[in-house]
Amino acid sequence: MKHAILSCTGLDKPEGSVAREVTIRFADATGSEIICPVLLNRAPARYKKALSESSLIVVDGCSTRCATKLATQLEAKVERKVLVSDAVKASGQPLESTLSLGPGGLTLAQTIVDELVRNLNAPAVAAEPVADFETPTEYLVVTHDKFEFRIPVVDYMFNENDVWARVLDGVARVGISDYMQQKLTDVSYFDSPKMDAIVEQFGELGSLESAKAVFEIIAPVSGTVVAFNGAVVDNPALINEDPYGAGWLVEVKLSDWPQDHELLLNPAAYAEIVKRKAAEE
Amino acid sequence: MAETTFTGVPRDQIPWFPTIDYDKCTFCMECDTFCPHRVFERREGARKLVVANPTNCVVFCRACSKTCGPDAISFPSKPETIARIKQIREGLAIK
Repeated sequence: MKHAILSCTGLDKPEGSVAREVTIRFADATGSEIICPVLLNRAPARYKKALSESSLIVVDGCSTRCATKLATQLEAKVERKVLVSDAVKASGQPLESTLSLGPGGLTLAQTIVDELVRNLNAPAVAAEPVADFETPTEYLVVTHDKFEFRIPVVDYMFNENDVWARVLDGVARVGISDYMQQKLTDVSYFDSPKMDAIVEQFGELGSLESAKAVFEIIAPVSGTVVAFNGAVVDNPALINEDPYGAGWLVEVKLSDWPQDHELLLNPAAYAEIVKRKAAEE
Repeated sequence: MAETTFTGVPRDQIPWFPTIDYDKCTFCMECDTFCPHRVFERREGARKLVVANPTNCVVFCRACSKTCGPDAISFPSKPETIARIKQIREGLAIK
C-alpha cells in the first residue's frame, strides 16, 4: 500500500521544524504524498483520494499533537506515528532553539526518517502469543451513574494505574481495564513496546492514544517483552470491545513475580479503586 | 484525600506530582482540562495555573505532561519513587 504523510506545519517551534523536515525527506525517499495540515483543515476534499488509498504516517512536533488531532477528526487510519519532542529526549541532545534547523536538527530529522523507512520495510513482528487464556466469564460490576465497569472475578491482578496482568507459566499477559477503556473512549493507536525490551514494574509498556488522551501503559510486572498483540495494532477498537480478552496488549516473561505480586491488587481491591476514581470525576 | 493509599503506603508520603516550569508554561490549560483528578487549579494573577492538590495525582500517571505542547510539566524519577515506596512499605511492614 502507498503511504501519505501528515505532519505539523513546523512554524511554531524547532521540534515542528524537525517534523516538517522529516516529512519532506520521507516523501522524497519513499515517493509518498505529503498532506499539508493547513490545507487539510480548510479543504479536506483535496486529500480525500490520498487518504482513502494510502496508509497514513503522522509526524507531530510537540505534545499539542496538531497533526494527530487532524487525523483523528478525519477518522483516518494511522499506520505509524512519530513525536519529535520524544525523539529529542531519546537522543539525549538538546535541539537548537531556532526554527531554521542547524546540524543537530537536520541529523535528528534524518535519523527519524531512516528509522521510519526501516520499520516500513520490516514491520515489527508481533510474536505468537505465549500464553493461551480463556476469556473470563464472571465479573464484578462497579456502577457509577449510568456507567458500568466490569472486573473479572478471578485470575486477573491490577495495578492502581488501571492495567491488568494475568499470569500463566511464567508469562504475564497485560491489558487495560474496562474502566480505563471507557475513560479513554475509542482507542485509535497502540504504540507497542519493542520486542525483547526489559521492563521494570511500573515502567512503560508502550502507550495508547484516543481523541481524549495519551495513556502510558504502566507495567504491572517486571520482565522481558515476548509478544504484543498485532491484531490490536491493526485494529485498536478491539481494546474497547474486549479489554480482558481479544484486546490484550503485551506479554511479558516474568523476572520477579513474587515481588511484583506484592504491589498488585486483587479484583475486589481494584473495584474499590475504580469506585473512588469514578466518584472523583 | 489524605487517607488514601498507594500499594498500602499513605499517599501523602509519596512525592509524585507534576511540577510546572513557569518559564515554559503558556497557560493553555490543556493539562487542567485533561486531568480528571483536580490536581491543578486556575488562579488570578501571574501564575494562572498551580499544582493545588498534589496528592490527588495518580502515582506514576504522567498523562497531563503528554498534553503539554511547551513541555512545561515534569515528574520525579520513577525508579527513585519506586525505591521510596518499597522503603516505606518495609518500614510499615506491609505484606
